[in-house]
Amino acid sequence: MSVETAKILPLRDGAGTKPKIVAKNVQKYFGNVLAMEDISCTINEREFVAIIGPSGCGKSTFLYLIAGFEKASQGELLINNELVVGPGPDRGVVFQEFVLFPWLTVLRNATLGLDIKGVPRQEAEERARKWLRLTGLSGFENAYPSSLSGGMKQRVAIARALSYDPEVLLLDEPFGALDVQTKNYMIQDLQNLWVEANRTIVMITHSVSEAVQLADRVLILSSRPSRIIADVAIKLPHPRDLRDPQVRRYEDEVTALLSAEVDKAMKRERQTFAGRS
Amino acid sequence: MSVDTSGIRLQRYTRSPASSGLAIPMARIALILVPLVAWEVCSRLGLINGFLFPAPSAILNKLWVQSGPNGNPPYAILWHVADSMLRLLSGLSLAVIIGTLLGVGLGMSQRARLVFQPIISILMPVPTLAWTPVLLLVMGIDNRTTILVVFLAAVFEMIYIVASGIEMLNVKMLWVAWSMGASRRQVFWRVIIPGIFPCLITGTRLGTGYAWRALIAAEMLAASSYGLGFMIYDASEYMNIGVIYGGVMMIAALGYLLENVLVGKIEAATIEKWGVLNER
Ligand SMILES: Nc1ncnc2c1ncn2[C@@H]1O[C@H](COP(=O)(O)OP(=O)(O)O)[C@@H](O)[C@H]1O
Ligand SMILES: [Mg+2]
Repeated sequence: MSVETAKILPLRDGAGTKPKIVAKNVQKYFGNVLAMEDISCTINEREFVAIIGPSGCGKSTFLYLIAGFEKASQGELLINNELVVGPGPDRGVVFQEFVLFPWLTVLRNATLGLDIKGVPRQEAEERARKWLRLTGLSGFENAYPSSLSGGMKQRVAIARALSYDPEVLLLDEPFGALDVQTKNYMIQDLQNLWVEANRTIVMITHSVSEAVQLADRVLILSSRPSRIIADVAIKLPHPRDLRDPQVRRYEDEVTALLSAEVDKAMKRERQTFAGRS
Repeated sequence: MSVDTSGIRLQRYTRSPASSGLAIPMARIALILVPLVAWEVCSRLGLINGFLFPAPSAILNKLWVQSGPNGNPPYAILWHVADSMLRLLSGLSLAVIIGTLLGVGLGMSQRARLVFQPIISILMPVPTLAWTPVLLLVMGIDNRTTILVVFLAAVFEMIYIVASGIEMLNVKMLWVAWSMGASRRQVFWRVIIPGIFPCLITGTRLGTGYAWRALIAAEMLAASSYGLGFMIYDASEYMNIGVIYGGVMMIAALGYLLENVLVGKIEAATIEKWGVLNER
């Protein structure tokens, strides 16, 4: 069913022209360290945006700013034209480190968002079970997180965020702990679901192929202090196949931009290192 | 296949205790039994002063009689134990509840920490018994005095351990709850309390030990008619040595039950089941 929907909706970005998330000259200091120099961007409603950049450049920080966990030192962040003042149930987060609750079973972790909303238990379980099934966790509903592998924990975290159906999904390297097979399988599966779900999605990743396979746009961040150095629109229908030459072309483009940035960062690092010694 | 793995697992589990065999349990029991038997024999043979060191059998007999209808007063031991437990559990519950609330408040608010840290650091090391005379003057010889002493003995440990437990709690767990729109109450019950549960158990365990010690001492000073501490104190007035030893034995046995069996059960039902202990 999902495949067919995908064919009817060839391009996601046709749908979204209303700005959902707007960052204006966002700057972030941690103490005296400038983590984020100046980030401005607009993410439209129902857009799937991937953010990619060298490690330590402030990708997670940017996501936490959108989520409302951290406050920008300068500039402003708007969601639905309103200033972000704190976290809220309109934005669901999947953390790089999963952050499951060890005292809850897999099922209870997944229903938590709905429990908090006050959704009746039976309905909550039904909705959570659907996502647990789609993330390949059927049969593990009553297991505790401590008995799961890293990849399984990550999938519970994804199911937990999807179960309560937030308007915006903020995913921090959501496939980082998965082995290649599981990851490819989940990307295939989720592509269609995300087209269907019609949510605004911001995904952090360090994998170019993930980014070009899933996203409508790829934002490339510079190394710290970060700025957006490129904004690449991927104008291809879903589901995408990595072997498709068009997808490959985008992959090469993004890789080239990114490795130029990484080269620069490495050179700078070597210079400061040489200068110090 | 599942049969195979279960077989392997069983083997692995049985081997490590089996290698030490029964040696450890035997040694444990022997360490308690051998001195008692030696004591019994020495006492009966008159090798030690039978008045200062009555034979264990005589002590147990005394306890037995005092627990029955022929005790003085009848069922005395049961009343002593009941009164001590009432005071201990009331004071301890208060300490756990109030200590947790204050500890969470301190742990969650840096401002509160800065304000309250000095006063807590000053009060915490004051031996609880030092308060007893004041409390006695204010409230008299009353259950309230002993309960308050028990409370004071346990509450500081609780505050301290809970507050440091919150500092160790992964902030992102709070973030997850906030991002789901959890209210303060929901965050407290669904994240903070289970998140600091290992600390709550440690705090309760340590607090129970302190409280128990403080209770017995306070009962010696401030109980009018019942309580194990009072029983020992009263017996010493009348040189009733058997009752003194009996009281010590009861205190040891009840303390063991409280600290290890009761708290241990809670531990097994919670953090061990969650696998939190293995993860660390
Ligand atoms: N709470 C914090 N305090 C101080 N420095 C931080 C904090 N969070 C992140 N940083 C720093 O900010 C930079 C960006 O971190 P992060 O957003 O986690 O990077 P990324 O997710 O891109 O790998 C890093 O250099 C990191 O050390
Ligand atoms: Mg990160």
